[in-house]
Amino acid sequence: MALSQRERDIQIMLAAAVHLGTKNCDFQMERYVWKRRSDGIFIINVGKTWDKLQLAARIIVAIENPQDIIVQSARPYGQRAVLKFAQYTGAQAIAGRHTPGTFTNQLQNSFCEPRLLILTDPRTDHQPIREAALGNIPTIAFCDTDSPMRHVDIAIPANNKGKHSIGCLFWLLARMVLQMRGTVTAAQPWDVMVDLFFYREPEEAKEREEEEGAVQEFAPTEYVAPPLAFAASETQWEGAAPAQWESEPAVGLPGALVGAPVAAEWTAVPASGWDAAAPTISPAGWDAATVPVASGWEAAGPPAATGWDPANL
Amino acid sequence: MAERGGFGRGFGRAGGGGERGRGDRGRGRGDRARGRRGPRREEEEKWLPVTKLGRLVKDGKIRSLEQIYLHSLPIKEHQIVEFFLGPALKDEVMKIMPVQKQTRAGQRTRFKAFVVVGDSNGHVGLGVKCSKEVATAIRGGIILAKLSVIPVRRGYWGNKIGKPHTVPCKVTGKCGSVTVRLVPAPRGSGIVAARVPKKVLQFAGIDDVFTSSRGSTKTLGNFVKATFECLLKTYAFLTPDLWKETRFQKSPFQEFTDFLAKPTKISLIEDVEKTPIY
Repeated sequence: MALSQRERDIQIMLAAAVHLGTKNCDFQMERYVWKRRSDGIFIINVGKTWDKLQLAARIIVAIENPQDIIVQSARPYGQRAVLKFAQYTGAQAIAGRHTPGTFTNQLQNSFCEPRLLILTDPRTDHQPIREAALGNIPTIAFCDTDSPMRHVDIAIPANNKGKHSIGCLFWLLARMVLQMRGTVTAAQPWDVMVDLFFYREPEEAKEREEEEGAVQEFAPTEYVAPPLAFAASETQWEGAAPAQWESEPAVGLPGALVGAPVAAEWTAVPASGWDAAAPTISPAGWDAATVPVASGWEAAGPPAATGWDPANL
Repeated sequence: MAERGGFGRGFGRAGGGGERGRGDRGRGRGDRARGRRGPRREEEEKWLPVTKLGRLVKDGKIRSLEQIYLHSLPIKEHQIVEFFLGPALKDEVMKIMPVQKQTRAGQRTRFKAFVVVGDSNGHVGLGVKCSKEVATAIRGGIILAKLSVIPVRRGYWGNKIGKPHTVPCKVTGKCGSVTVRLVPAPRGSGIVAARVPKKVLQFAGIDDVFTSSRGSTKTLGNFVKATFECLLKTYAFLTPDLWKETRFQKSPFQEFTDFLAKPTKISLIEDVEKTPIY
């Protein structure tokens, strides 16, 4: 018995607990709720989630320049997913704190005017929603049953609390976007696993890194890419500097930083990795963030130092 | 007790004429402001746009201010307005109001400037700026006024002959306790209003109108803001001739994405040194 694409996706979503809401329900989310369980949790109609994902994917594809899309997550659970999503679709990712004024203050360094905004949680990411409203930026967000819907243009009803759920959703969205663009077809199915988008706890990430030796290389796409000399040198500092990583006050150290697709990390969003590593350090104190890092690098010796000078040292 | 701040430091004229000059400045032309335009012109030539809209305007991709209004794009750089309305744009300082704050060592005086800007043909802007020096306040006020330029809808009193000369319908605006009501008037009536709103309406390009106001119109700040609000509403009012379905046009950001995607020279360097995240 063959399952359609939609049914297979729904199975994955159910396995990732996308359908589980919370004990409260916002009145505007009522249309997406299927039923309320006996223990008080609202169950989301996953079929509608899939349809909304398709709609969101169509909108993403309609933006001619993918760099004008910003994907954001303040919460650690969503940061890895957001970074991966940006990597595969060519968007820009903001993981960690959103500096107020990035969309409205034209004098700021990090000022940008996106055409589209994708968020993991309207409640924790309320600041970007507010600024988007001031700047005529349409907003897509993953909304839980109790999420405020103000200024959210496309709401994708889903569980945005669990790490599997968030990872699964971004993976599905990315795949849909690639399918609509034609990069991925039935003949060439997408070979990236969902697990890549899952958030990894720091201890788990450290174990992984000790197991893995090789670094997989990912070909960067259109966006600005520092020389791929990085890939080779990464193995050296990776092995040498896990000790430094432990001392990082990181909470949501995206497992992505350690282990496999580090090269990709660098090409896509060189500094966002650091920001994720130190979410409490404001971007203004960005220099402060690089200081603990720099010590790590010195310990590892200066491998391919030439490649790094322009980056941020 | 020696006055702090502006009175001594600022313009000699302003110091003495803080109270006296209020009336003068209101009635007189923006002579002082025009004098200021000399040095400012040099800065204008060096405009490096920071916003997307700015870049589009500088390269002439945007045909008119009306296109910006159509898509409700926020105008963040005053040079954008100057580009379209430039020479026709006149400014006038309505009032310089000294405001004070009490500190341990006396009062800290600052000057609040109310500036109205407009070509007398359908565009007005109102800017309020407070600063330690009168000149700075006026300069800042002019910039803010240009940023807030609004289109004003004009209509006819009866018989659509000639150009629109009055407000399309009765509109009212409120700020604080002041409400200002504009009522369409037949041609030749002129602007029947108090000195303050008359100035604003002249800048807007309205030839004939009856007005009625209520509340503490003595507070010039609120009075002028109320008339500005009123004029804002002229285009917010749905009249039968607007009943036709809108044909949507592409937003300039969408139309010109290729042009906008090209980085300017500055950002190219920045990309290498400074990584783009936040």
